[in-house]
Amino acid sequence: MKLVIDIRLLAWRRSLQLLRNPVWLFVSLTVPLLYLALFTPLLKDLPVTGGLGGNVLDEFLPGILALLAFTSGANAGFSTLFELQAGVVERFRVTPASRLALLLGPLVSGMTSMFIFDLVLLVVGIAFGFHVHVLGLLVLAVLLALFYLTMAAFSTAVALLTKEITGFAAIVNGINLPLMLLAGVLLPISLGPAWMGVLAHFNPLYYLVTASRTLALDSFSGNALWQAFAVLTPLCALSLAWATRVYRRAVA
Amino acid sequence: MGGVIEAHELRKHFGSRGKLVEAVRGVSFEVTKGEIFGFLGPNGAGKTTTLRMLTTLLPIDDGQARVAGLDVATAPARVRERIGYVSQLGGADMLATGRENLMLQGRLYGGERVEVASRVEQLLGLLDLASFADRQVKTYSGGQRRRLDIALGIVHEPEVLFLDEPTTGLDPQNRANLWEHVRALRDRGVTVFLTTHYLDEADALCDRVMIIDDGTIVAEGSPRELKRDIVGDSIVLRVDDDDGWLGRVEAVLANAPSVRSTVPGEDGQLRCYVDDGAVALPDLLRRIDAANLGLKAISLSEPTLDDVFLAKTGRSLRDGGEDGGS
Repeated sequence: MKLVIDIRLLAWRRSLQLLRNPVWLFVSLTVPLLYLALFTPLLKDLPVTGGLGGNVLDEFLPGILALLAFTSGANAGFSTLFELQAGVVERFRVTPASRLALLLGPLVSGMTSMFIFDLVLLVVGIAFGFHVHVLGLLVLAVLLALFYLTMAAFSTAVALLTKEITGFAAIVNGINLPLMLLAGVLLPISLGPAWMGVLAHFNPLYYLVTASRTLALDSFSGNALWQAFAVLTPLCALSLAWATRVYRRAVA
Repeated sequence: MGGVIEAHELRKHFGSRGKLVEAVRGVSFEVTKGEIFGFLGPNGAGKTTTLRMLTTLLPIDDGQARVAGLDVATAPARVRERIGYVSQLGGADMLATGRENLMLQGRLYGGERVEVASRVEQLLGLLDLASFADRQVKTYSGGQRRRLDIALGIVHEPEVLFLDEPTTGLDPQNRANLWEHVRALRDRGVTVFLTTHYLDEADALCDRVMIIDDGTIVAEGSPRELKRDIVGDSIVLRVDDDDGWLGRVEAVLANAPSVRSTVPGEDGQLRCYVDDGAVALPDLLRRIDAANLGLKAISLSEPTLDDVFLAKTGRSLRDGGEDGGS
Protein backbone atom coordinates (compact mmCIF):
# COMPACT_ATOMS: atom_id res chain seq x y z
CA MET A 1 0.00 0.00 0.00
CA LYS A 2 1.26 3.44 -0.99
CA LEU A 3 0.77 4.91 2.50
CA VAL A 4 2.83 2.21 4.16
CA ILE A 5 5.56 2.39 1.50
CA ASP A 6 5.75 6.18 1.85
CA ILE A 7 5.95 6.01 5.65
CA ARG A 8 8.71 3.42 5.39
CA LEU A 9 10.67 5.48 2.84
CA LEU A 10 10.41 8.67 4.87
CA ALA A 11 11.19 6.89 8.15
CA TRP A 12 14.27 5.29 6.66
CA ARG A 13 15.40 8.64 5.25
CA ARG A 14 15.17 10.27 8.67
CA SER A 15 16.93 7.36 10.37
CA LEU A 16 19.83 7.59 7.90
CA GLN A 17 20.15 11.28 8.71
CA LEU A 18 20.28 10.53 12.42
CA LEU A 19 22.86 7.79 11.96
CA ARG A 20 25.00 10.23 9.97
CA ASN A 21 24.88 12.67 12.86
CA PRO A 22 27.12 11.16 15.55
CA VAL A 23 26.76 14.15 17.88
CA TRP A 24 23.02 13.67 18.05
CA LEU A 25 23.44 9.95 18.64
CA PHE A 26 25.88 10.52 21.48
CA VAL A 27 23.84 13.20 23.26
CA SER A 28 20.58 11.29 22.91
CA LEU A 29 22.14 8.27 24.55
CA THR A 30 23.89 10.07 27.36
CA VAL A 31 20.98 12.20 28.60
CA PRO A 32 18.81 9.35 29.91
CA LEU A 33 21.86 7.56 31.24
CA LEU A 34 22.83 10.71 33.14
CA TYR A 35 19.41 10.73 34.77
CA LEU A 36 20.00 7.18 35.90
CA ALA A 37 23.52 7.83 37.07
CA LEU A 38 23.14 11.23 38.67
CA PHE A 39 19.55 11.27 39.90
CA THR A 40 18.86 7.79 41.19
CA PRO A 41 21.44 8.10 43.99
CA LEU A 42 19.55 11.13 45.34
CA LEU A 43 16.44 9.04 45.81
CA LYS A 44 18.14 6.38 47.86
CA ASP A 45 17.33 7.81 51.25
CA LEU A 46 13.96 9.36 50.54
CA PRO A 47 11.13 7.76 52.49
CA VAL A 48 8.77 7.81 49.47
CA THR A 49 9.99 4.57 48.01
CA GLY A 50 8.60 2.67 50.95
CA GLY A 51 6.28 -0.19 50.06
CA LEU A 52 8.20 -0.99 46.92
CA GLY A 53 10.68 -3.23 48.56
CA GLY A 54 13.12 -0.41 48.75
CA ASN A 55 14.34 -0.74 45.15
CA VAL A 56 14.68 2.82 43.90
CA LEU A 57 15.20 1.78 40.31
CA ASP A 58 11.89 -0.09 40.13
CA GLU A 59 10.20 3.16 41.05
CA PHE A 60 12.35 5.52 39.07
CA LEU A 61 13.26 3.81 35.78
CA PRO A 62 9.65 3.69 34.46
CA GLY A 63 9.47 7.42 35.06
CA ILE A 64 12.61 7.93 33.01
CA LEU A 65 11.09 5.91 30.15
CA ALA A 66 8.02 8.13 30.28
CA LEU A 67 10.18 11.22 30.41
CA LEU A 68 12.12 10.04 27.36
CA ALA A 69 8.87 9.57 25.42
CA PHE A 70 7.83 13.03 26.47
CA THR A 71 11.02 14.89 25.59
CA SER A 72 11.77 13.08 22.35
CA GLY A 73 8.17 13.69 21.28
CA ALA A 74 8.26 17.35 22.24
CA ASN A 75 11.53 17.85 20.36
CA ALA A 76 10.28 16.24 17.14
CA GLY A 77 9.29 19.66 15.83
CA PHE A 78 12.86 20.89 15.74
CA SER A 79 13.70 18.77 12.70
CA THR A 80 10.44 19.82 11.07
CA LEU A 81 11.35 23.43 11.65
CA PHE A 82 14.78 22.92 10.15
CA GLU A 83 13.38 21.11 7.12
CA LEU A 84 10.71 23.74 6.69
CA GLN A 85 13.35 26.44 6.46
CA ALA A 86 15.52 24.33 4.16
CA GLY A 87 12.60 23.80 1.74
CA VAL A 88 12.47 20.05 2.34
CA VAL A 89 8.90 20.12 3.66
CA GLU A 90 7.76 22.04 0.60
CA ARG A 91 9.53 19.66 -1.77
CA PHE A 92 7.69 16.73 -0.20
CA ARG A 93 4.40 18.56 -0.14
CA VAL A 94 4.28 18.80 -3.94
CA THR A 95 4.80 15.06 -4.31
CA PRO A 96 1.72 12.81 -4.30
CA ALA A 97 2.87 11.27 -1.00
CA SER A 98 0.03 11.21 1.52
CA ARG A 99 0.11 14.00 4.09
CA LEU A 100 -0.28 11.42 6.83
CA ALA A 101 2.85 9.70 5.53
CA LEU A 102 4.77 13.00 5.54
CA LEU A 103 3.83 13.34 9.20
CA LEU A 104 4.26 9.72 10.27
CA GLY A 105 7.50 8.91 8.43
CA PRO A 106 9.74 10.96 10.72
CA LEU A 107 7.64 9.99 13.76
CA VAL A 108 8.10 6.28 13.11
CA SER A 109 11.83 6.88 12.87
CA GLY A 110 11.83 8.93 16.07
CA MET A 111 9.80 6.30 17.86
CA THR A 112 12.20 3.57 16.77
CA SER A 113 15.18 5.45 18.13
CA MET A 114 13.26 6.11 21.35
CA PHE A 115 12.69 2.39 21.81
CA ILE A 116 16.35 1.68 21.13
CA PHE A 117 17.31 4.17 23.86
CA ASP A 118 14.68 2.57 26.13
CA LEU A 119 16.36 -0.79 25.61
CA VAL A 120 19.76 0.64 26.47
CA LEU A 121 18.27 2.15 29.63
CA LEU A 122 16.68 -1.15 30.58
CA VAL A 123 19.88 -3.08 30.07
CA VAL A 124 21.81 -0.60 32.22
CA GLY A 125 18.96 -0.60 34.76
CA ILE A 126 18.99 -4.38 34.98
CA ALA A 127 22.69 -4.30 35.68
CA PHE A 128 21.92 -2.10 38.69
CA GLY A 129 19.10 -4.25 39.97
CA PHE A 130 15.97 -3.28 38.07
CA HIS A 131 13.41 -6.10 38.11
CA VAL A 132 12.10 -6.94 34.64
CA HIS A 133 8.51 -8.01 34.14
CA VAL A 134 8.19 -8.72 30.44
CA LEU A 135 4.42 -8.53 30.00
CA GLY A 136 4.19 -5.28 31.93
CA LEU A 137 6.96 -3.76 29.87
CA LEU A 138 5.29 -4.79 26.60
CA VAL A 139 2.06 -3.06 27.59
CA LEU A 140 4.12 -0.09 28.73
CA ALA A 141 5.72 0.04 25.28
CA VAL A 142 2.27 0.53 23.74
CA LEU A 143 1.56 3.41 26.12
CA LEU A 144 4.96 4.97 25.43
CA ALA A 145 4.31 4.77 21.69
CA LEU A 146 0.90 6.41 22.10
CA PHE A 147 2.37 9.18 24.17
CA TYR A 148 5.35 9.74 21.90
CA LEU A 149 3.08 10.02 18.85
CA THR A 150 0.79 12.46 20.65
CA MET A 151 3.63 14.74 21.64
CA ALA A 152 5.57 14.44 18.37
CA ALA A 153 2.53 15.15 16.19
CA PHE A 154 1.67 18.13 18.38
CA SER A 155 5.23 19.41 18.23
CA THR A 156 5.37 18.97 14.44
CA ALA A 157 2.12 20.87 14.00
CA VAL A 158 3.34 23.70 16.22
CA ALA A 159 6.55 23.88 14.16
CA LEU A 160 4.58 24.06 10.91
CA LEU A 161 2.36 26.80 12.30
CA THR A 162 4.98 28.96 14.01
CA LYS A 163 7.52 28.46 11.17
CA GLU A 164 10.40 29.87 13.18
CA ILE A 165 12.41 28.85 16.17
CA THR A 166 11.53 31.54 18.73
CA GLY A 167 7.78 30.98 18.66
CA PHE A 168 8.19 27.25 18.52
CA ALA A 169 10.68 27.05 21.37
CA ALA A 170 8.55 29.35 23.51
CA ILE A 171 5.48 27.13 23.13
CA VAL A 172 7.28 23.82 23.56
CA ASN A 173 9.34 24.96 26.55
CA GLY A 174 6.28 26.67 27.97
CA ILE A 175 4.38 23.42 28.21
CA ASN A 176 7.40 21.25 29.02
CA LEU A 177 8.04 22.40 32.54
CA PRO A 178 4.51 22.40 34.03
CA LEU A 179 3.71 19.05 32.43
CA MET A 180 6.91 17.54 33.80
CA LEU A 181 6.50 18.93 37.31
CA LEU A 182 2.86 17.94 37.47
CA ALA A 183 3.45 14.37 36.40
CA GLY A 184 5.56 13.00 39.20
CA VAL A 185 8.30 11.91 36.83
CA LEU A 186 11.13 12.60 39.17
CA LEU A 187 9.31 12.55 42.50
CA PRO A 188 5.82 11.21 43.18
CA ILE A 189 3.10 13.84 43.09
CA SER A 190 1.76 12.45 46.36
CA LEU A 191 4.56 14.30 48.12
CA GLY A 192 2.88 17.60 47.31
CA PRO A 193 -0.31 19.22 48.59
CA ALA A 194 -3.73 18.00 47.46
CA TRP A 195 -4.28 20.70 44.83
CA MET A 196 -1.25 19.46 42.94
CA GLY A 197 -2.83 16.03 42.79
CA VAL A 198 -5.96 17.58 41.37
CA LEU A 199 -4.07 19.54 38.73
CA ALA A 200 -2.08 16.46 37.79
CA HIS A 201 -5.27 14.80 36.60
CA PHE A 202 -5.40 17.32 33.75
CA ASN A 203 -1.92 16.31 32.66
CA PRO A 204 -1.70 13.39 30.19
CA LEU A 205 1.90 12.72 31.21
CA TYR A 206 0.69 12.02 34.75
CA TYR A 207 -1.39 9.07 33.52
CA LEU A 208 1.55 7.67 31.59
CA VAL A 209 3.90 7.98 34.54
CA THR A 210 1.42 6.45 36.99
CA ALA A 211 0.65 3.56 34.68
CA SER A 212 4.32 2.99 33.93
CA ARG A 213 5.04 2.51 37.64
CA THR A 214 2.38 -0.14 38.10
CA LEU A 215 3.30 -1.86 34.83
CA ALA A 216 6.94 -2.02 35.79
CA LEU A 217 5.80 -4.06 38.77
CA ASP A 218 3.76 -6.25 36.42
CA SER A 219 0.60 -5.18 38.15
CA PHE A 220 -2.50 -4.94 35.96
CA SER A 221 -4.92 -4.19 38.74
CA GLY A 222 -6.04 -0.77 39.89
CA ASN A 223 -7.25 2.17 37.87
CA ALA A 224 -3.98 3.52 36.54
CA LEU A 225 -3.79 1.27 33.48
CA TRP A 226 -7.25 1.68 32.01
CA GLN A 227 -7.21 5.36 32.82
CA ALA A 228 -3.98 5.79 30.90
CA PHE A 229 -5.38 4.07 27.83
CA ALA A 230 -8.66 5.97 28.13
CA VAL A 231 -6.83 9.30 28.18
CA LEU A 232 -3.95 8.65 25.80
CA THR A 233 -5.70 6.81 22.95
CA PRO A 234 -8.17 9.56 21.99
CA LEU A 235 -5.54 12.22 22.65
CA CYS A 236 -3.15 10.52 20.25
CA ALA A 237 -5.83 10.24 17.54
CA LEU A 238 -6.70 13.89 18.02
CA SER A 239 -3.11 15.04 17.83
CA LEU A 240 -2.38 13.01 14.69
CA ALA A 241 -5.54 14.25 12.99
CA TRP A 242 -4.73 17.84 13.80
CA ALA A 243 -1.12 17.61 12.61
CA THR A 244 -2.17 15.95 9.35
CA ARG A 245 -4.65 18.73 8.81
CA VAL A 246 -1.96 21.34 9.42
CA TYR A 247 0.28 19.55 6.92
CA ARG A 248 -2.49 19.71 4.35
CA ARG A 249 -3.49 23.32 4.85
CA ALA A 250 -0.87 25.65 6.23
CA VAL A 251 2.73 26.36 5.32
CA ALA A 252 2.44 29.65 3.48
CA MET B 1 -7.42 25.99 -26.24
CA GLY B 2 -4.76 23.54 -25.22
CA GLY B 3 -3.03 25.60 -22.58
CA VAL B 4 -1.00 23.39 -20.27
CA ILE B 5 -1.55 26.03 -17.61
CA GLU B 6 -4.70 28.11 -17.63
CA ALA B 7 -5.24 30.71 -14.97
CA HIS B 8 -8.40 32.72 -14.79
CA GLU B 9 -8.79 35.72 -12.47
CA LEU B 10 -6.58 34.23 -9.78
CA ARG B 11 -6.67 36.08 -6.50
CA LYS B 12 -4.91 35.69 -3.19
CA HIS B 13 -4.88 37.87 -0.15
CA PHE B 14 -3.15 37.48 3.15
CA GLY B 15 -4.66 38.75 6.34
CA SER B 16 -2.53 40.23 9.03
CA ARG B 17 -4.13 41.75 12.09
CA GLY B 18 -7.37 42.56 10.39
CA LYS B 19 -5.70 44.20 7.41
CA LEU B 20 -6.03 42.39 4.11
CA VAL B 21 -3.06 42.50 1.80
CA GLU B 22 -3.89 41.59 -1.76
CA ALA B 23 -0.89 39.72 -3.10
CA VAL B 24 -2.42 38.61 -6.41
CA ARG B 25 -5.24 40.66 -7.88
CA GLY B 26 -7.03 38.86 -10.69
CA VAL B 27 -4.30 37.28 -12.78
CA SER B 28 -5.24 35.49 -16.02
CA PHE B 29 -2.93 33.81 -18.50
CA GLU B 30 -2.34 30.70 -20.55
CA VAL B 31 0.85 28.74 -21.02
CA THR B 32 1.24 26.69 -24.19
CA LYS B 33 2.67 23.19 -24.21
CA GLY B 34 6.41 23.04 -24.75
CA GLU B 35 7.34 26.65 -24.09
CA ILE B 36 9.48 28.32 -21.48
CA PHE B 37 7.16 30.81 -19.87
CA GLY B 38 8.73 33.46 -17.69
CA PHE B 39 7.02 35.33 -14.90
CA LEU B 40 9.00 38.54 -14.49
CA GLY B 41 8.56 41.11 -11.77
CA PRO B 42 10.19 42.75 -8.79
CA ASN B 43 10.35 41.00 -5.43
CA GLY B 44 7.00 41.05 -3.71
CA ALA B 45 5.06 41.44 -6.97
CA GLY B 46 3.12 38.21 -6.45
CA LYS B 47 5.20 35.83 -8.58
CA THR B 48 5.89 33.20 -5.97
CA THR B 49 2.38 33.46 -4.55
CA THR B 50 0.92 32.73 -7.99
CA LEU B 51 3.36 29.87 -8.46
CA ARG B 52 2.43 28.38 -5.11
CA MET B 53 -1.25 28.49 -5.99
CA LEU B 54 -0.59 26.71 -9.29
CA THR B 55 1.47 24.02 -7.55
CA THR B 56 -1.23 23.23 -4.90
CA LEU B 57 0.89 24.64 -2.08
CA LEU B 58 -1.42 27.54 -1.36
CA PRO B 59 -5.22 27.55 -1.47
CA ILE B 60 -6.71 29.74 -4.20
CA ASP B 61 -8.94 32.49 -2.77
CA ASP B 62 -10.79 33.26 -5.95
CA GLY B 63 -10.59 32.36 -9.63
CA GLN B 64 -9.71 29.10 -11.36
CA ALA B 65 -6.50 27.41 -12.37
CA ARG B 66 -6.06 24.34 -14.51
CA VAL B 67 -2.72 22.61 -14.81
CA ALA B 68 -2.19 19.71 -17.21
CA GLY B 69 -5.92 19.70 -17.83
CA LEU B 70 -6.84 19.31 -14.15
CA ASP B 71 -8.45 21.76 -11.78
CA VAL B 72 -5.92 22.71 -9.11
CA ALA B 73 -8.54 23.37 -6.44
CA THR B 74 -10.56 20.18 -6.85
CA ALA B 75 -7.89 17.66 -7.90
CA PRO B 76 -4.69 18.74 -6.15
CA ALA B 77 -3.42 15.19 -5.69
CA ARG B 78 -3.65 14.42 -9.41
CA VAL B 79 -2.09 17.75 -10.32
CA ARG B 80 0.89 16.88 -8.10
CA GLU B 81 1.50 13.69 -10.07
CA ARG B 82 1.90 15.68 -13.28
CA ILE B 83 3.97 18.65 -12.19
CA GLY B 84 7.47 19.15 -10.93
CA TYR B 85 8.35 22.03 -8.64
CA VAL B 86 11.72 23.43 -7.66
CA SER B 87 11.48 26.07 -4.95
CA GLN B 88 14.00 28.83 -4.40
CA LEU B 89 15.47 26.79 -1.58
CA GLY B 90 15.61 23.55 -3.53
CA GLY B 91 15.14 21.42 -0.46
CA ALA B 92 17.46 18.49 -1.10
CA ASP B 93 18.61 16.50 1.93
CA MET B 94 22.06 17.83 2.76
CA LEU B 95 23.13 14.70 4.61
CA ALA B 96 22.04 12.32 1.88
CA THR B 97 23.83 11.78 -1.41
CA GLY B 98 22.47 13.10 -4.69
CA ARG B 99 21.55 9.59 -5.76
CA GLU B 100 19.73 8.86 -2.47
CA ASN B 101 17.78 12.09 -2.83
CA LEU B 102 16.72 11.19 -6.36
CA MET B 103 15.83 7.60 -5.44
CA LEU B 104 13.60 8.74 -2.57
CA GLN B 105 11.91 11.37 -4.70
CA GLY B 106 11.21 8.86 -7.46
CA ARG B 107 9.82 6.35 -4.99
CA LEU B 108 7.53 8.97 -3.41
CA TYR B 109 6.09 9.51 -6.86
CA GLY B 110 5.18 5.85 -6.81
CA GLY B 111 7.96 4.37 -8.95
CA GLU B 112 9.25 0.84 -8.36
CA ARG B 113 12.80 0.61 -7.12
CA VAL B 114 14.20 -0.81 -10.37
CA GLU B 115 12.52 1.66 -12.69
CA VAL B 116 13.43 4.60 -10.46
CA ALA B 117 17.05 3.44 -10.41
CA SER B 118 17.27 3.47 -14.18
CA ARG B 119 15.52 6.85 -14.36
CA VAL B 120 17.98 8.24 -11.82
CA GLU B 121 20.87 6.93 -13.90
CA GLN B 122 19.41 8.75 -16.91
CA LEU B 123 18.97 11.99 -14.95
CA LEU B 124 22.51 11.88 -13.61
CA GLY B 125 23.71 11.92 -17.21
CA LEU B 126 21.17 14.46 -18.41
CA LEU B 127 22.10 17.05 -15.80
CA ASP B 128 25.82 16.24 -15.51
CA LEU B 129 25.55 14.93 -11.97
CA ALA B 130 27.15 11.53 -12.39
CA SER B 131 30.64 12.37 -11.16
CA PHE B 132 29.46 13.46 -7.72
CA ALA B 133 26.19 11.53 -7.39
CA ASP B 134 27.43 9.50 -4.45
CA ARG B 135 28.72 12.40 -2.39
CA GLN B 136 26.64 14.05 0.32
CA VAL B 137 24.77 17.07 -1.02
CA LYS B 138 26.34 19.36 1.58
CA THR B 139 29.61 19.06 -0.34
CA TYR B 140 28.09 20.30 -3.63
CA SER B 141 28.80 23.68 -5.21
CA GLY B 142 25.92 26.08 -5.86
CA GLY B 143 25.64 25.09 -9.51
CA GLN B 144 25.80 21.36 -8.74
CA ARG B 145 23.11 21.68 -6.09
CA ARG B 146 20.85 23.62 -8.42
CA ARG B 147 21.14 20.96 -11.10
CA LEU B 148 20.29 18.31 -8.51
CA ASP B 149 17.24 20.37 -7.47
CA ILE B 150 16.06 20.37 -11.06
CA ALA B 151 16.70 16.65 -11.41
CA LEU B 152 14.55 16.17 -8.26
CA GLY B 153 11.81 18.18 -9.95
CA ILE B 154 11.71 16.02 -13.07
CA VAL B 155 12.39 12.56 -11.68
CA HIS B 156 8.79 11.52 -12.45
CA GLU B 157 8.83 13.01 -15.97
CA PRO B 158 6.26 15.73 -15.32
CA GLU B 159 4.44 17.55 -18.10
CA VAL B 160 5.06 20.89 -16.46
CA LEU B 161 8.08 22.02 -14.48
CA PHE B 162 7.77 25.02 -12.15
CA LEU B 163 11.00 26.80 -11.27
CA ASP B 164 11.01 29.53 -8.66
CA GLU B 165 13.92 31.93 -9.22
CA PRO B 166 16.10 29.12 -10.58
CA THR B 167 19.37 31.02 -10.93
CA THR B 168 19.33 33.28 -7.89
CA GLY B 169 22.73 33.13 -6.24
CA LEU B 170 24.53 31.48 -9.17
CA ASP B 171 27.58 32.96 -10.87
CA PRO B 172 27.27 33.92 -14.58
CA GLN B 173 28.88 30.76 -15.84
CA ASN B 174 26.58 28.51 -13.83
CA ARG B 175 23.58 30.57 -14.86
CA ALA B 176 24.36 30.12 -18.53
CA ASN B 177 24.89 26.43 -17.93
CA LEU B 178 21.56 26.11 -16.16
CA TRP B 179 19.79 27.95 -18.96
CA GLU B 180 21.18 25.37 -21.38
CA HIS B 181 19.71 22.59 -19.25
CA VAL B 182 16.33 24.31 -19.07
CA ARG B 183 16.29 24.75 -22.86
CA ALA B 184 17.18 21.09 -23.26
CA LEU B 185 14.19 20.17 -21.11
CA ARG B 186 11.93 22.33 -23.24
CA ASP B 187 13.29 20.62 -26.34
CA ARG B 188 12.30 17.29 -24.80
CA GLY B 189 8.72 18.50 -24.57
CA VAL B 190 8.55 19.71 -20.97
CA THR B 191 6.65 22.93 -20.43
CA VAL B 192 8.65 25.20 -18.13
CA PHE B 193 7.08 27.90 -15.99
CA LEU B 194 9.65 30.00 -14.18
CA THR B 195 9.72 33.12 -12.09
CA THR B 196 12.60 35.54 -12.19
CA HIS B 197 13.48 39.07 -11.31
CA TYR B 198 16.43 39.03 -13.70
CA LEU B 199 15.75 40.93 -16.91
CA ASP B 200 18.44 39.18 -18.88
CA GLU B 201 17.16 35.79 -17.79
CA ALA B 202 13.64 36.52 -18.98
CA ASP B 203 15.04 37.92 -22.22
CA ALA B 204 17.51 35.19 -23.04
CA LEU B 205 15.72 32.11 -21.76
CA CYS B 206 11.99 32.61 -22.08
CA ASP B 207 9.86 32.04 -25.16
CA ARG B 208 7.16 34.12 -23.62
CA VAL B 209 7.20 36.54 -20.72
CA MET B 210 4.53 37.90 -18.46
CA ILE B 211 5.37 40.96 -16.42
CA ILE B 212 3.68 41.31 -13.05
CA ASP B 213 3.73 44.27 -10.75
CA ASP B 214 1.88 44.68 -7.48
CA GLY B 215 -0.26 41.61 -8.08
CA THR B 216 -1.40 42.65 -11.56
CA ILE B 217 -0.18 41.63 -15.00
CA VAL B 218 1.12 44.65 -16.86
CA ALA B 219 2.33 43.04 -20.10
CA GLU B 220 2.53 39.67 -21.81
CA GLY B 221 4.20 38.40 -24.97
CA SER B 222 7.49 37.18 -26.35
CA PRO B 223 10.42 39.33 -25.24
CA ARG B 224 10.79 40.56 -28.85
CA GLU B 225 7.13 41.52 -29.18
CA LEU B 226 7.11 43.25 -25.83
CA LYS B 227 10.13 45.33 -26.65
CA ARG B 228 8.99 46.13 -30.19
CA ASP B 229 5.34 46.83 -29.47
CA ILE B 230 5.54 48.57 -26.16
CA VAL B 231 8.81 50.42 -26.39
CA GLY B 232 10.30 50.28 -29.85
CA ASP B 233 13.95 51.28 -30.27
CA SER B 234 15.32 54.07 -28.21
CA ILE B 235 17.58 56.88 -29.34
CA VAL B 236 19.45 58.73 -26.65
CA LEU B 237 20.56 62.30 -27.42
CA ARG B 238 22.71 64.55 -25.34
CA VAL B 239 22.75 68.30 -25.72
CA ASP B 240 24.25 71.20 -23.82
CA ASP B 241 21.39 72.16 -21.60
CA ASP B 242 22.88 75.46 -20.50
CA ASP B 243 20.62 77.55 -22.72
CA GLY B 244 17.52 75.46 -22.43
CA TRP B 245 18.42 73.57 -25.60
CA LEU B 246 17.00 70.36 -24.23
CA GLY B 247 13.48 71.79 -24.29
CA ARG B 248 13.93 73.05 -27.83
CA VAL B 249 15.26 69.71 -29.08
CA GLU B 250 12.40 67.94 -27.40
CA ALA B 251 9.90 70.28 -29.07
CA VAL B 252 11.42 69.63 -32.49
CA LEU B 253 11.48 65.89 -32.06
CA ALA B 254 7.99 65.66 -30.63
CA ASN B 255 6.72 66.72 -34.08
CA ALA B 256 8.57 63.97 -35.90
CA PRO B 257 6.15 61.25 -37.03
CA SER B 258 8.57 58.41 -36.18
CA VAL B 259 8.86 59.42 -32.53
CA ARG B 260 6.44 57.72 -30.17
CA SER B 261 7.46 59.49 -27.02
CA THR B 262 10.31 61.37 -25.48
CA VAL B 263 11.56 61.14 -21.92
CA PRO B 264 14.00 63.81 -20.71
CA GLY B 265 16.68 62.55 -18.34
CA GLU B 266 19.52 64.05 -16.33
CA ASP B 267 22.64 65.70 -17.72
CA GLY B 268 20.96 67.01 -20.83
CA GLN B 269 19.88 63.54 -21.87
CA LEU B 270 16.82 62.96 -23.97
CA ARG B 271 15.47 59.47 -24.64
CA CYS B 272 13.25 59.09 -27.74
CA TYR B 273 11.27 55.92 -28.32
CA VAL B 274 10.83 55.18 -32.01
CA ASP B 275 9.42 52.31 -34.08
CA ASP B 276 12.57 51.52 -35.96
CA GLY B 277 15.80 53.21 -34.99
CA ALA B 278 17.58 52.72 -38.30
CA VAL B 279 14.81 54.53 -40.18
CA ALA B 280 14.14 57.23 -37.61
CA LEU B 281 17.71 58.27 -36.89
CA PRO B 282 18.48 60.11 -40.21
CA ASP B 283 15.15 61.90 -40.05
CA LEU B 284 15.74 63.08 -36.51
CA LEU B 285 19.21 64.33 -37.36
CA ARG B 286 17.84 66.28 -40.33
CA ARG B 287 15.23 67.95 -38.17
CA ILE B 288 17.73 68.91 -35.49
CA ASP B 289 20.06 70.27 -38.16
CA ALA B 290 17.26 72.26 -39.82
CA ALA B 291 16.41 73.84 -36.46
CA ASN B 292 20.05 74.83 -36.01
CA LEU B 293 20.47 72.91 -32.81
CA GLY B 294 23.65 71.10 -31.84
CA LEU B 295 24.18 67.72 -30.21
CA LYS B 296 26.92 66.49 -27.91
CA ALA B 297 26.25 62.82 -28.42
CA ILE B 298 23.75 60.45 -29.95
CA SER B 299 23.29 56.73 -29.58
CA LEU B 300 20.85 54.15 -30.77
CA SER B 301 20.01 51.38 -28.33
CA GLU B 302 17.81 48.35 -28.55
CA PRO B 303 15.16 48.27 -25.86
CA THR B 304 15.40 45.97 -22.87
CA LEU B 305 12.62 44.40 -20.85
CA ASP B 306 13.41 47.03 -18.26
CA ASP B 307 12.26 49.66 -20.75
CA VAL B 308 9.03 47.69 -21.05
CA PHE B 309 8.63 47.63 -17.30
CA LEU B 310 9.46 51.32 -17.12
CA ALA B 311 6.96 52.16 -19.85
CA LYS B 312 4.21 50.19 -18.12
CA THR B 313 4.78 51.04 -14.49
CA GLY B 314 6.80 54.24 -14.50
CA ARG B 315 9.47 52.52 -12.41
CA SER B 316 12.63 50.63 -13.24
CA LEU B 317 12.91 46.97 -12.28
CA ARG B 318 16.54 47.55 -11.42
CA ASP B 319 15.51 49.74 -8.52
CA GLY B 320 13.92 46.73 -6.79
CA GLY B 321 15.55 45.32 -3.69
CA GLU B 322 17.44 42.08 -3.77
CA ASP B 323 15.86 40.51 -0.73
CA GLY B 324 14.02 37.20 -0.90
CA GLY B 325 11.02 37.28 -3.23
CA SER B 326 7.49 36.40 -2.32
